[in-house]
Amino acid sequence: MNDPERPGRRRQFRFPWRTRHQVAQDLEAELAFHIDARAADLQAEGWSGADARAEAVRRFGDLDYTRAYCRREDARREQEKRHMTILDELRQDLAFTFRSMRSSRGFTAAALLTLALGIGANTAVFSVVQGVLLDPLPFRDADQLVRVWHARPSSGTVRGTVSEPDFLDWREAARTAASMGAYFFADGLSGLDLTGAGDPERLSAALVTDGFFQTLGTTPRLGRALTPDEHVAGGNRVVVLSHGFWTRRFGADPAIVGRAITLDGEPFEVVGVMPPGFTYPATQTLDVWIPLSYFGPEQIGRGRGVHFLSVVARLNTGVTPSQLHAEIGGIAARLSREHLDNAGWDDVTVAPVRDTIVGDVRRPLFVLSASVGLLLLIACVNIASLLLARASGRQRELAVRAALGAGRGRIARQLLTESLTLAVIGGALGVVLGQAGVNALVRSGNDMLPWAADIRLDASVLTMALVASLAVGLAFGLVPTLRATRDLDPTLRAGARGAGGGSGQGFRSALVVCEVALAVMLVIAAGLVTKSFARLSAVDLGFRPQNALVATFSIGSGHQGEERLAYLESVLDAVRAVPGVQAAGTIRDLPLLGNGEGNRPRVPGRSDALGEPPAVQIHHVSADFFKAIGTPLVSGRSVSLSDRVGTPWVTVVNEEAARRLWPGEDAVGKTLLLGSTEVRVVGVVGDIRQRGIAEPVDPAMYLHLHQNFRNRISLVVRVTGDPATYAGLVRQAIWSNDKQQTITGVTTLDDVLGRVTARPRLLAWLLSVFGAIGLSLGVLGIFGVLAYAVNQRRQEIGVRVALGASAHSVVRLIVGRGMLLAGAGLALGLGGAAILAGSMRAVLFDIEPLDAWTFAQVSVVLLGAALLASWFPARRALAIDPVSALRYD
Amino acid sequence: MPADSLALVQGTVNVLILKTLTRGPMHGYGISKWIHDESTGALAVEDAALYQALHRLERKHLIDSEWGVSDANRRAKFYTITREGRKYLQADVAALRRYVDALFKILQPA
Repeated sequence: MNDPERPGRRRQFRFPWRTRHQVAQDLEAELAFHIDARAADLQAEGWSGADARAEAVRRFGDLDYTRAYCRREDARREQEKRHMTILDELRQDLAFTFRSMRSSRGFTAAALLTLALGIGANTAVFSVVQGVLLDPLPFRDADQLVRVWHARPSSGTVRGTVSEPDFLDWREAARTAASMGAYFFADGLSGLDLTGAGDPERLSAALVTDGFFQTLGTTPRLGRALTPDEHVAGGNRVVVLSHGFWTRRFGADPAIVGRAITLDGEPFEVVGVMPPGFTYPATQTLDVWIPLSYFGPEQIGRGRGVHFLSVVARLNTGVTPSQLHAEIGGIAARLSREHLDNAGWDDVTVAPVRDTIVGDVRRPLFVLSASVGLLLLIACVNIASLLLARASGRQRELAVRAALGAGRGRIARQLLTESLTLAVIGGALGVVLGQAGVNALVRSGNDMLPWAADIRLDASVLTMALVASLAVGLAFGLVPTLRATRDLDPTLRAGARGAGGGSGQGFRSALVVCEVALAVMLVIAAGLVTKSFARLSAVDLGFRPQNALVATFSIGSGHQGEERLAYLESVLDAVRAVPGVQAAGTIRDLPLLGNGEGNRPRVPGRSDALGEPPAVQIHHVSADFFKAIGTPLVSGRSVSLSDRVGTPWVTVVNEEAARRLWPGEDAVGKTLLLGSTEVRVVGVVGDIRQRGIAEPVDPAMYLHLHQNFRNRISLVVRVTGDPATYAGLVRQAIWSNDKQQTITGVTTLDDVLGRVTARPRLLAWLLSVFGAIGLSLGVLGIFGVLAYAVNQRRQEIGVRVALGASAHSVVRLIVGRGMLLAGAGLALGLGGAAILAGSMRAVLFDIEPLDAWTFAQVSVVLLGAALLASWFPARRALAIDPVSALRYD
Repeated sequence: MPADSLALVQGTVNVLILKTLTRGPMHGYGISKWIHDESTGALAVEDAALYQALHRLERKHLIDSEWGVSDANRRAKFYTITREGRKYLQADVAALRRYVDALFKILQPA
């Protein structure tokens, strides 16, 4: 027994580890062997049986202590071994994973790419959703904040602005509101000229009433917000700076509070600086807040008929928005009876502030999230399918490993390590992709998303990506794993006959059906949005956006009275003198961006049978405006320089106004009454989309600036060639008369249009990309299943061909299977798409969510793609040589 | 165990076991007998101490064990010395030799 080469010795078959019970048993056996051996030797020396045994035990020494000692040592060793084994196996698994990843590059690349796309797209979109919809607003208890609009139900005005006396009456009487404030702000339009130190600059400003800052409840970063006595004449030359403006213009100088800056030629004392992120009511940038009272009634009318304020209120504790609505609505109804100017303004509209800020983007973001979620699902299904295919391809490898002593758990662990490793690497790639996606989204979405600058991949987004990756890895690694480790033995036996592992096929087919269904949903959503965008792009704008430059500015207090008109004409003449300029004209509100001033002119001679005349939007234009913007004159003439202050007022109306005010009659020569002023219609022009591209055209009338001046100017310059190249020249021309003239912005009409359509375009573009990826994955799924099936059924096909099956029937076998999968997926997908599309109505323009044509087109495309995907495996099946197929394996 | 055998100096049990195992795999009883026979009965390791040492050495990875079949055709636990064990033995023998040499220098009659 001392000879190591003894044939009687056999190697212990070592299990990964022993149980506590096994350890104890082994020890007992070892000690028993010793006692027995010693007793046997003693017997050989002549001891009697019982004595020999007693002597052996005596000679051993302290048996109990030794037993306890050894058990302790063994237990410690066992535990150590266990840890080592786990680490060791993990190392083995990882090494094996990387080896098998290298050896099956195609599979690995496909799986990683799929995951990276799925995770990446989700990370990017979730970042945006998180930044825009989920982040808290920069106000104290933002959920208590509501906007309140004046409503005039009889004319369909739901969200009207409020006059100052009405606002003051509301605030005075309302008990449901803890506080109320109002402001005037128009993005890019309300502003002040900053002069003094540095370049003159047009600041974007909000004019606010007392209560504005108190209602929002945001603590200033420096100094203080406006106090009540700063809203009355004498104390109102004060200004609060935004963090962005303070940083940009004053280098974040903390000593700014108490200093004076020059706004519109007047010194304003800086009283405070707001914290970063607070730009209300602007969603992007705002430079300053000043008291509304700085502008006297001669600059901004304060009658009840002058609606210009937006109102924000903080709900009293325990008050719901509908209670506030009921109370203020009641006040409005009372005022509408008491004041002639308020006739019909007998209700209000109330909505949470958050909704008014993110309301527009909520739907598109929801659609985007839903589609990107679908994409992730498709990616998951695709990966599960890939893993499953691979697992069934490896059935025999696994069976061999099992036969060599690897337990089920061990094999499962190996497979899970593989799928988790894939998931983690894929997820990491996805996060990189997602970062790029976020950058691209923020860049292209800068004008459309509130707080675009705040959108970034943060911890919660990364957590989401990690959890999603791991979930994908676990969930979709588990299914193939369970399938692979079941029935390992039969596989080996079946494998010997060359038909290894066809069992995953049914499950894989189900996965492919799901994949196709999801892809159909995605593609239909993409189709609807794309068509909607195409129709939006085809809308007749009523003007020609090409070859036109736009410069916006305000004629400031440096120009007064009649001189303003001469000054404006000199600017226009200077612009017209620029070589290449064909026409130049102005309007107060640029088409697509603003709707002029609402009014309700009386129409003398209009039959009562026609009902109350509609509201009309008044625009203020210069001569040549229609020529510059490219809108055709339908009849009559445009306003001209001969229509001056002293001459009778004239106007040009749009076709919508002509049709609604004087149905069936010629509008030219008719008269309108603006208050007591008679205005004669001298011409009719085509309809211009003023309110927005997807909004209907309102009746509009155009007054000549020389008869009714407005200092806000949008200058439209029609040029030959690329308008952007004229920007510098037009600026110089504007400055040729007054070097202090500030310019709010210079852009092209095409850019304006691009900004207006940017959101639907982005949505259409993103959904198309998602749809294309989804469709490709779905079709690849069909291809994969069929190609695999053909491979697995080589023998069967070989036998069929050998028995005389025609090529036709073989092709039908394979293609039929593919079309069956596609058909089932399509049917499911169409149902799902109908549900998804139902929620998309708000993002669609001029197309029904259940547009039959789109559904049909997508069906045809999908079936066509599926046919193609089935065709290649079918050709491979045809190419099978029956003899070699039967000999195979 | 004969009463006249020498009590072992602490630590020498390890060396004896490791040294014995350099001859090949052996079970506990074999080791005990071999030490006894080789030293012609002069050195005796108490069985209890022997087994405690075996399990301790195994935990320290100096020896390894596997189950095999004894001469008497019984299942027995065989110990082998590991590579680590051999290294340990070399170092320990050298140290023991230096210790014994020093001891003898002092004990030699002047």
